[in-house]
Amino acid sequence: MSTIQDFSGYQPTWCPGCGDWGIGIAIKSALIQLGLSPSSLFVAFGIGCSGNMNDFLNAYAMHGLHGRSIPNAIGMKLANHKMTTLVVAGDGDCYGEGGNHFLHACRGNHDITVIVHDNRVYGLTTGQSAPTAQKGYVSKSTPLGIIEESVDPLSLAITQGASFVAQAFAGDAIHMSQMIKKAIEHKGFSLVNILQPCVTFNKVNTYPYYMKRVYKIDDNHDKESITAAVQKAREVFEEKYPLGVLYEVHRPAYHEQLIQLELTNSLKDRVRFIDFKPLTQYFK
Amino acid sequence: MKTFVWKIGGEAGFGIMTTGLAFSKIASRLGYRIFDYIEYPSLIRGGHNTYEVVVSDERVGSSPGKIDFLVCLNKQTFDFNKDRLSENSFVIYDKDEFSPETTAILINVPFKEILSSLKGQLIMKNTIALGASLALLGTDLTIFNELITQQFGRKGTDVVSFNEQFAEKGFSYVLTHYNKNIQHLLSPLNSESQLVVTGNEAFSLGAIISDCRMYVAYPMTPSSSVLTTLAAWQKNSKMVVRHAEDEISVINTALGGSFAGVRSAVGTSGGGYALMVESVSYAGIAEIPIVIFISQRPGPATGMPTWTEQGDLLFTVFSGHGEFPKIVLAPGDMEEMITLSAEAFNLADMYQVPVIILSDMFLSESHANIKESFVTNFNKSFKINRGKTIVKSDNKKYKRYETSSDGISPRLIPGAEGAFYQANSYEHLEDGHTTELSEERVKQVTKRALKMQTYLQTDFKTPTVYGDLEGADIVFVSWGSNKGVILDVQKKLLLNTKTAYIHFTQIFPLKKEDVTPLLKKEKRYILIENNSEAQFGKLLQMELGISIPETILRFDGRAISQEDIINKVNSK
Repeated sequence: MSTIQDFSGYQPTWCPGCGDWGIGIAIKSALIQLGLSPSSLFVAFGIGCSGNMNDFLNAYAMHGLHGRSIPNAIGMKLANHKMTTLVVAGDGDCYGEGGNHFLHACRGNHDITVIVHDNRVYGLTTGQSAPTAQKGYVSKSTPLGIIEESVDPLSLAITQGASFVAQAFAGDAIHMSQMIKKAIEHKGFSLVNILQPCVTFNKVNTYPYYMKRVYKIDDNHDKESITAAVQKAREVFEEKYPLGVLYEVHRPAYHEQLIQLELTNSLKDRVRFIDFKPLTQYFK
Repeated sequence: MKTFVWKIGGEAGFGIMTTGLAFSKIASRLGYRIFDYIEYPSLIRGGHNTYEVVVSDERVGSSPGKIDFLVCLNKQTFDFNKDRLSENSFVIYDKDEFSPETTAILINVPFKEILSSLKGQLIMKNTIALGASLALLGTDLTIFNELITQQFGRKGTDVVSFNEQFAEKGFSYVLTHYNKNIQHLLSPLNSESQLVVTGNEAFSLGAIISDCRMYVAYPMTPSSSVLTTLAAWQKNSKMVVRHAEDEISVINTALGGSFAGVRSAVGTSGGGYALMVESVSYAGIAEIPIVIFISQRPGPATGMPTWTEQGDLLFTVFSGHGEFPKIVLAPGDMEEMITLSAEAFNLADMYQVPVIILSDMFLSESHANIKESFVTNFNKSFKINRGKTIVKSDNKKYKRYETSSDGISPRLIPGAEGAFYQANSYEHLEDGHTTELSEERVKQVTKRALKMQTYLQTDFKTPTVYGDLEGADIVFVSWGSNKGVILDVQKKLLLNTKTAYIHFTQIFPLKKEDVTPLLKKEKRYILIENNSEAQFGKLLQMELGISIPETILRFDGRAISQEDIINKVNSK
């Protein structure tokens, strides 16, 4: 049985009060509750404040390039599908630079859990606006206010084939941990979008801002209905933020549909292929 | 040596490629060596396709120039190729379509009439033409009919016999009307079983022999047939073949697979590789093994997608930001493609670096035949070498990037109990954690560079020299796919000029002390490259300080021809 200590690497370098602290703890406690250990876990980290969790969370991890953690995770999962696979990324990372990968990973229903630190700003590069920034948001890169509408990651995921979509708030560690745990337990592509105040660079979407606007999704919500789920997701444009599972359906994951993968034996562990005859006959 | 050239041309979409390949396979099964070459525009329909096959009783790797049998399914084929005909050449055509003006021997076969009498579709014209060709070459339809069965068998015997009758009509028309013209050029030879493969198929075979378990790609001419070949084999081979959403996803998926412990490769052309290079740099710093297959085509940008060039050599050698080691290999023929590709996976694992296989359209899409026993024997003798890859760590505190005397650290396959580590794209400490400390940075940069010193001392192979270097008057220097044409020219020149050929397959890095002596003799050196800037020449200058002023450079999208080389040789 692993402990928080087993998963804890170096002392984090996040700003005091940053939502990343809470997310870090929520991830670790979900992993412990699931009985996982650093040796049974793949994590693909992006680049950004979120990705810097790489030094603070012990696992078999790739701390790759900005935007590319999802394909890294897909590759790891296909090579060894017996390992639990997480992506820890930021909003710019996952919805901007890596937007194409995000969209296609949803389609593929790859069995990975994508945890996005959504602070609506670029923290590590000192405060430019992110794809999830609200229209009109003033930042160093958009001093006259951002012209684009914000990305709605929840609707995007739901409509493109993700089979589990949830939202959490960095100010509610217990709920956040529950969502992460559910997402990991789900077979198929799962997204947990975490609303996370950036205390240093985002003076709009603060803890008090969210405290006033978040609410828990009640039991009457139909999680299997795309329409109901998208309706909830679109509330972001009215500055209402539902927390909980918006959408959850069960479909076979990508690796479960690959005929070349054996259930009990991973691609890494299977025997070497040596029977060339059937392949070379075509060349005669 | 008995060699002849058969060439068929017609409108794109009318089965030129299938027919050409059938001709290559027939000649191959009859025991001949073949080399073929296709030309096609970047269109699905409406352009002009040609398929040229060189047939010989000895190994061949290029076209001699003259066409002996020209099959014209339209007038364009004749117009584009008439300058390559002689008085002894044969032109197979249909006088209802056009009348060739030539001194060559005319073989009129009424394609249109036969088609309408048998109620055939236009695409069956090529079947009639191939039947006619086989009659003219003095062989029978046995093998062609077998190939028809292979192709249409699953559609039922009716479809097979429907197709066979077109071959039969063309065949018997020539027997009846041109009996005196029949050439006995395809009498069966005694030969062991041969395989007709393209460079892309040869790479695919090499990858499987080397136990590659994950191939990821996004289609890009002329590399796409690696993807489709490996995808077609996946039921048998159990390789995971993924067509990802873009080239950036392609290489990052493969890096994920490689990190997790399976041999992984990607394939693309120059433009796709341009999208991948940031990730190549990641593989460099994180020391993740990866094999990258690049089939070059003329750039820049979209360039000429279906033509050939060796224009991406320096781009490949210098690809990726920052300083990190990589290995670039360039096979020259099908055998080298199989062996070097298999070897590439070993080198990637042993040195934990990106290893690039550099092909081009000419090598990737041309067919040549190789002995089946070559593949069988190589597969038997090839040893998987994963270098310092380990599956468990006895060390209590496993350090992924631990320094060592050869620069290579033990690489633990994830999943091992009691351990964990990260493959970090940031500069890192020996244990993988991010660092910005001066001495740790220097330690890791030095460690990575040391891997290439170890490679040069242990696994660098001096270029092969064909011919007698000491006795030669002229020394050709070239790399990759130019091998075929240069070896053919050496044979042609044999009686008049003594030549040697230094054939580079290990392009980068170069071992100065091994290569320099080959290039420092009192000889007339001629550098041959399929690009406009003599890129390999520049690399030799940079790495060895050697300059080769006399060059043959071709950059019109076509491969170097025998004539290009012979003219240069005779120019002095």
